[in-house]
Amino acid sequence: MSVLKMIFGGKKERRLREAGWGWSMVAGLAGLVYFFPVLWIIMTAFKSRADALATPPAFLFTPTLDNFVAVFYRVAQTGSGEALSTGMGMFFFNSIFVAASGVFLALIIGTLASYGFSRYPLKGNETYLFVILTTRMLPPIIVIIPIFLMFRMMGLSGSYIGVILLYAAFNLPFSIWMMKSFFDELSPDVEDAARMDGSSERGVFFRICIPQLKAGLAATSVFAVILTWNEFLFALLLTGTETRTVPVAMARTIGGELGVEWGLLAAIITLFLIPVFGVTYLLQNHLLRGVTFGTIKK
Amino acid sequence: MGKFTMTGALAAGIVAGSLAVSAPAFAKDIVLNMAGPDWGPTRFLQEHFNNTYKAKSGNNVKLVFDFIPWGSFYDRVAASLTSGEKKYQMIISDSQWIGTFIEGGHFMKLNKYIDADPELQAIMKDIHPAMIQNYSTYPHKSDNYYGFPQFPDTKVTWFRNDLFCHDGERAAFQAKFKEALPCSYDEWKSADWGTWENVGKFFRRNKGEKLGDGVAANDFYGIAYQAGKVADFSSMQVLPFIWQHGGDIWDESNQPNAQAEGVVNSAEAVKGFQHYLDLLKYAPPVHKTGQMGIFAIQELFMQGKVAAIIDWAGVAPPALDPKVSKYHDKTGFAMTPGLRKADGSISRLDNIGGQPFVLTTWNSEEVTKEALEVVKWWMSPEVQIEFSKNGGEPGLMSVMNMPEYNDFLPWNRAHAELLQHQKDVWHTPEMFEMLTQQQEEFDKAITGQKTAKEAMDSIAKFQQELLIEAGRIK
Amino acid sequence: MDKSVTETAEGLDGLSRPQPGPPVGLQQPIARGKTMQDFWKWMFSPSRRGPMLVAPALIMLFIMNIFPLMWSFGLSFFHYKASSIRPPSFAGLHYYEKVLTDPVVWERLQTTAQIVGMSVLLQLVIGFSLALMFAKKFPLRREILMLVLTPMMLSFVAVGVFFKLFYEPTFGLLSQAYMYFSGEQLTLLATQWGAVWGIVIADAWMWSPFVMLLVLAGLVSVPDYLYEAAEVDRASRWKRFTTVTFPYVKGLLLLALLFRTIETFKIFDVVYLITNGGPGTSTETVAVYVYRMAFQFFKTSQSSALSYILLFIVIVLTNLYLYFVKKRGEEG
Repeated sequence: MSVLKMIFGGKKERRLREAGWGWSMVAGLAGLVYFFPVLWIIMTAFKSRADALATPPAFLFTPTLDNFVAVFYRVAQTGSGEALSTGMGMFFFNSIFVAASGVFLALIIGTLASYGFSRYPLKGNETYLFVILTTRMLPPIIVIIPIFLMFRMMGLSGSYIGVILLYAAFNLPFSIWMMKSFFDELSPDVEDAARMDGSSERGVFFRICIPQLKAGLAATSVFAVILTWNEFLFALLLTGTETRTVPVAMARTIGGELGVEWGLLAAIITLFLIPVFGVTYLLQNHLLRGVTFGTIKK
Repeated sequence: MGKFTMTGALAAGIVAGSLAVSAPAFAKDIVLNMAGPDWGPTRFLQEHFNNTYKAKSGNNVKLVFDFIPWGSFYDRVAASLTSGEKKYQMIISDSQWIGTFIEGGHFMKLNKYIDADPELQAIMKDIHPAMIQNYSTYPHKSDNYYGFPQFPDTKVTWFRNDLFCHDGERAAFQAKFKEALPCSYDEWKSADWGTWENVGKFFRRNKGEKLGDGVAANDFYGIAYQAGKVADFSSMQVLPFIWQHGGDIWDESNQPNAQAEGVVNSAEAVKGFQHYLDLLKYAPPVHKTGQMGIFAIQELFMQGKVAAIIDWAGVAPPALDPKVSKYHDKTGFAMTPGLRKADGSISRLDNIGGQPFVLTTWNSEEVTKEALEVVKWWMSPEVQIEFSKNGGEPGLMSVMNMPEYNDFLPWNRAHAELLQHQKDVWHTPEMFEMLTQQQEEFDKAITGQKTAKEAMDSIAKFQQELLIEAGRIK
Repeated sequence: MDKSVTETAEGLDGLSRPQPGPPVGLQQPIARGKTMQDFWKWMFSPSRRGPMLVAPALIMLFIMNIFPLMWSFGLSFFHYKASSIRPPSFAGLHYYEKVLTDPVVWERLQTTAQIVGMSVLLQLVIGFSLALMFAKKFPLRREILMLVLTPMMLSFVAVGVFFKLFYEPTFGLLSQAYMYFSGEQLTLLATQWGAVWGIVIADAWMWSPFVMLLVLAGLVSVPDYLYEAAEVDRASRWKRFTTVTFPYVKGLLLLALLFRTIETFKIFDVVYLITNGGPGTSTETVAVYVYRMAFQFFKTSQSSALSYILLFIVIVLTNLYLYFVKKRGEEG
């Protein structure tokens, strides 16, 4: 029974049981339980510090936008009162640029590699794949110094390209494993038919395989984006002042003169959540289908 | 393969570009990279430098500050140094790390420059001896100098002056304990741990009970000080108790004869630690979790849950900020209490805080000279006074002795007077391991898993074994 | 719906599961006069195609991951402290011995296993239940699904810092709720069990949506005819579940188990921020311990040895999982 048929077979797709508003309430309750801490963080972004720490907790309060302003501007320490830029705009750009590039690079290299592993298996395919998986098993703290050294030797310290390459490498194992199982599901007969018709290898890859893998690519992208977006340790040590990403800048609100600048941190978290939330929402359809595609083994 | 040639070219371009930026193009352009934590005092340093510094030599000197978040500050500096990155010309260090990085060959010994420069000598003479000893010398108390104070820090008492100076409360306290509720500077100066304990009992109010002019909105507590497992929080308050009771830590200035076993867990040390634990019960319940560190007590105070705390002056500025503290206009500062000795005097031995800044060992002569010029600029009275006015603490005694100094910040008077009592933990490279184990053991006692004696015995044993293995104890 | 793909799919009627392998029928005339194309064709000729396709990935992984891993693996056999400038001297298995005979290490492993076991179990159970819930079509399904997915999108720092606040006895929501009913503050993190639960709940909250997503994908694709057959047999709900639904999603559950176990074993930020390994050392996981050893004590060689022992343990566990999957595949 081909999964492909199930997904794209239209009428043959499993029709999920319908349920009514009662079910929505139950689901909504679960959703609320999961979302409540996030909601609290978002609310804190609009609170003054006193409200954020109020006892009993402040569910009703006068909202303020001060925290969001503080995300981008900071008062000068020298007492002149002028507003200096915190550079957060640049950090946001850096995060978007680095995540997008890293994920994009990982998808290209990973998809090609998984195509290779699937269609042209090498001697020791299983070993290669397992070793690729093992790269995810160690606590990153162990490899941080050699990578740091390596970056220095290669002159990549503090550059965009260094971190992008690193994040691409982080995302490769998951991308390869996911995409390989998608490729495994595709039938080579279609590709052969296309070749018989005179299509080139490249044509086969791009016009036959890829369209069927849109779902898999979407799924891999979302997980990769989430992983890269929030990565902290390597960003802390390997980005420079110009290439710093938001998670590192977020850490600015912790320690220092106050334990945590609650409102400011909540504001940064809220703003930082928007892009990744948007990406996930847009790819939601594909996501569900895509994960199906990759992991069902009949 | 196409992908790789592009990547290679890009990488080569980056390498070329960064080489061009980091190496001075002409002898006149000097860039000083400085690593420091991201908070007010360092932001001030950068801003004031940009606004006012002019190099005497005529060179174009830029100070590029790498502001690292406090929580990750150590990680970043450690990674930079141990990987041989050689990125920074100056670093703001914590006083306790200097041993590790001096022995590692990263921090530069400054004696030859100080000896050759009368201005530097004058500065060194003007720096408080406690700061010299703890921020600058290595081995401890020797004549080798490595650093200058960037931000000196001590612990002071923060208290709610609307409560402590309230007539009704004062009368009740006097009646109950036969001593004055400390309100003025001098009353606090003559307060000892007994007074502190009485305050703890006195100001423990349940929700709804009378408090000052009004009523307690939530459960209210009298006292709190550091009891946190993170970093050095607990140790910074436990060690003062140990010292005041006559105990001691392993004496690094007396290697290799000084022992840990027998010293660290002496009867006095255990007594001191027990005294610390006994007073914890008057603090808010969070102390039971072992998570009542610097910021926990600061927050408790600023949100009105506790009447008095003992905390660093360095984190005091937010207490005066209306946007942050609910009681910004009701906060006073004073000297910390101490142990009343038999002769009636009060022992206030405490652990110093703050950060020195150091120069690194891989700079050229020219860069080092410019860096020392910046040091001289920073340690000049004019800059130190500006620094004080903007929330900092000066390292110069001449500034602290100025009459206006006490008015710059409400805790200055206490801070200046407390400096003479400051000691420090160890500075040797084993410091981290010793501190971590000590913090764990203190935490076990604080959270009720062990007795004070068991904890101290465990610490002494661990340190003895560790230091013997490291060759610091014979 | 992608039209071209639908058309292609219809041409696939009656196909059996495809076997991976090189395509047949590749005899095409090579175009003349275009040397670049010639080059590509030579590059990607069938014999070379496999290696060529995987080469970029393997090279990138080698440089970025394997090289540093081997570097630190090599270091574990030498006396080396990152903080000193002394060159390393050979130590043989000294550090491995030290780590394996250190009772502290076993304590940390135990703590880690406890946290991993509890959290992953919770993630699987809750994730599965959520997936069952979302496997029906109901109004606002898509929006509520997004709500459930948000925990995954937060950074560890955000979760750690805010959950620490939630658990805080004076200011935290949990304690405030407890106080409403009992009048006392809740010092959750004061005991080992409280601290462990605090961490486990934060971790499970963050990652059970991941499990839900994987299982939901499986539930969504169980073919109708199997359910129809079960209905014809008038099988009970439970029987339908165990014979039709569960076998379909068992594979996905095992996959979720694999990924989540590997990741949770490395748990660091959440522990470091919420409890810092306390009270005492009762929640000090092995990743936190490795961090202290490597970065604070500068026992570089020892921490490398410990990490490789960890790696060995995870590899063994992973192999067990893959063995079970193979077995299930043979039975299925």
